Amino acid sequence: MSARIATVLAPIHDRVLEQGDAAAVVTAEQQISYRALWESARRVEGFLRSLGVAQGDRVALIAENSPQYVAVFYGALLAGAAVVPMNTSAKMKDFSNWLNHCEAKVAFVDFAPRETHKLVEGGLAAQLVAVNQADALPAPLCDSGLPTWGDVQAYELPTEPPQLEQAVDGLACIIYTSGTTGNPKGVMISHGNLMANVGSILAALPIEPGDRFLNVLPFYYSYGNSALHTHLVQGATLYLENSMMFPNVVVSRMAQEKITGFAGVPSTFSLLLSRGKVAEHDLSSLRYVLQAGGAMPVPVTQQVLEHLSNHVYVMYGQTEATARLTWLPPQHLLEKLGSVGVPIAGVEIQIRHPDGSECGPEEDGELFVKGANVAMGYWRNPEATAATFVDGWLKTGDLGHKDQDGYLYLKGRRSDMIKSGANRISPLEIEEVIVELPEVEEVAVVGVPDELLGQTITAFLILKAGHELNVRAVKKHCLDNLASYKIPKQIVQVDAFPKTASGKVKKHILAEQVGD
Amino acid sequence: MSAKEKVKNYILENYLFTDDQDALKDGDSFLEQGIIDSTGILEVIFFLEEEFGISVADEEMVPENLDSVNNLVKFIEAKSAA
Repeated sequence: MSARIATVLAPIHDRVLEQGDAAAVVTAEQQISYRALWESARRVEGFLRSLGVAQGDRVALIAENSPQYVAVFYGALLAGAAVVPMNTSAKMKDFSNWLNHCEAKVAFVDFAPRETHKLVEGGLAAQLVAVNQADALPAPLCDSGLPTWGDVQAYELPTEPPQLEQAVDGLACIIYTSGTTGNPKGVMISHGNLMANVGSILAALPIEPGDRFLNVLPFYYSYGNSALHTHLVQGATLYLENSMMFPNVVVSRMAQEKITGFAGVPSTFSLLLSRGKVAEHDLSSLRYVLQAGGAMPVPVTQQVLEHLSNHVYVMYGQTEATARLTWLPPQHLLEKLGSVGVPIAGVEIQIRHPDGSECGPEEDGELFVKGANVAMGYWRNPEATAATFVDGWLKTGDLGHKDQDGYLYLKGRRSDMIKSGANRISPLEIEEVIVELPEVEEVAVVGVPDELLGQTITAFLILKAGHELNVRAVKKHCLDNLASYKIPKQIVQVDAFPKTASGKVKKHILAEQVGD
Repeated sequence: MSAKEKVKNYILENYLFTDDQDALKDGDSFLEQGIIDSTGILEVIFFLEEEFGISVADEEMVPENLDSVNNLVKFIEAKSAA
């Protein structure tokens, strides 16, 4: 029998007892105290139990960051279930694929976006529950009979003590990182993984009770997931802003709420600094800034230091490592500019040659990592698990080297995954969709460099004889079947692909053509 | 073509890849419906500047001005009248 550990719920419950009236989550419309959040989560727990949700069942969550998201996440854990948060910009095809793959018993859904309405008629096994109030349910769903947030919160508080311990290898959440048909990759994060990573991150970052953290990171991504737990475990307050679409709104809120902490990916900071009028606001309360999600251009880092905070924590991680793997202590930022730092506590990193031998300092190779935060594998996908989780090590697919002092520098990826903004995108997933079009003979999708997003997507198409390229039709087909951030920016028709002797498309040559 | 038609057609053509007018309601929030993201809004601003000859200041980048066809039209009219 596996050892039992205190879950992430235990320290949060401590905060509820110590500082119940303190604000836990604040949106533009409402402020939720630690006590109210806890009670809301316990009502979710009671509601789930009434639906027959038991230990180990999966509960899906399709909602933007909100107090409801947080209450459902912790409520499902209280019920002993594993949470499956899903990317809200995904399409019905993905949702249906993931919900069926994880056999979710219940799915909490924000029905404001029209795409989610398709779930109601999707013939899914999961019981759907709206996180919307009944009077905010969109008109087409008013008579659907769906339980709404009011129904969930009307559920009486469970009287038994909260379940704050689980088996160390008990499943806490599944995060899907790709939706390729047939073989989705759902990263299995255990309670042990989550607690190990939360602990290591908190050992590195200066988050304190009373901190006011402005969050723009989607909680359904591992980066946002870790921001959520680390701040609530420490008794801080999360201020939610769900988009960088209006940078000025984000900066104004930072100043107005005297925000002390902020996190983003490189494009977040580029947008803030170029459009947010940061110099015109008093941001002197900002104590720490976290940056992850790929290398940030040096001039942007310098502007962040000048205008936001001189305590910039660069971090690197992967969903397969629960969230974070390294950190660059702020005092070494300028001296080690471009580095993602050193391993956080409990993480071991090896750089290996293709033959498996370990690289020396300054030698490039692939990163392998080990630690209690390394996930248990991919849900019901033994092939992908065996390929990525090897002899207790996570094969990251990232390339890089350590310098003489052990600081890590990343140099791209072994695989052809595209990194655009905060998103890791599988070209295969887009190729599978485009090739469904009857006029398409062959397709190759590549990432091309982009100043703001790191990379944007270009699809190269070979059409069948007698067909003409209709860019709009290709993009429309992508929009109907893929999250919007996966739609290729450019569609290029070619007569042939450059290929290796074994017939593999030389994507790097295609990518170079876009740059020409 | 009215400002509303121009704006709506631009959004339909560039973000929904269709000319089906029913695919977008004039009051739909681009953000809530996942139609436009943080980089898309910069393209929309470029379109407004090119098409209507108005300039959009950073502080005018707020949902009340930009986050639906109706809001865009109101914003264009106010800017053009100024």
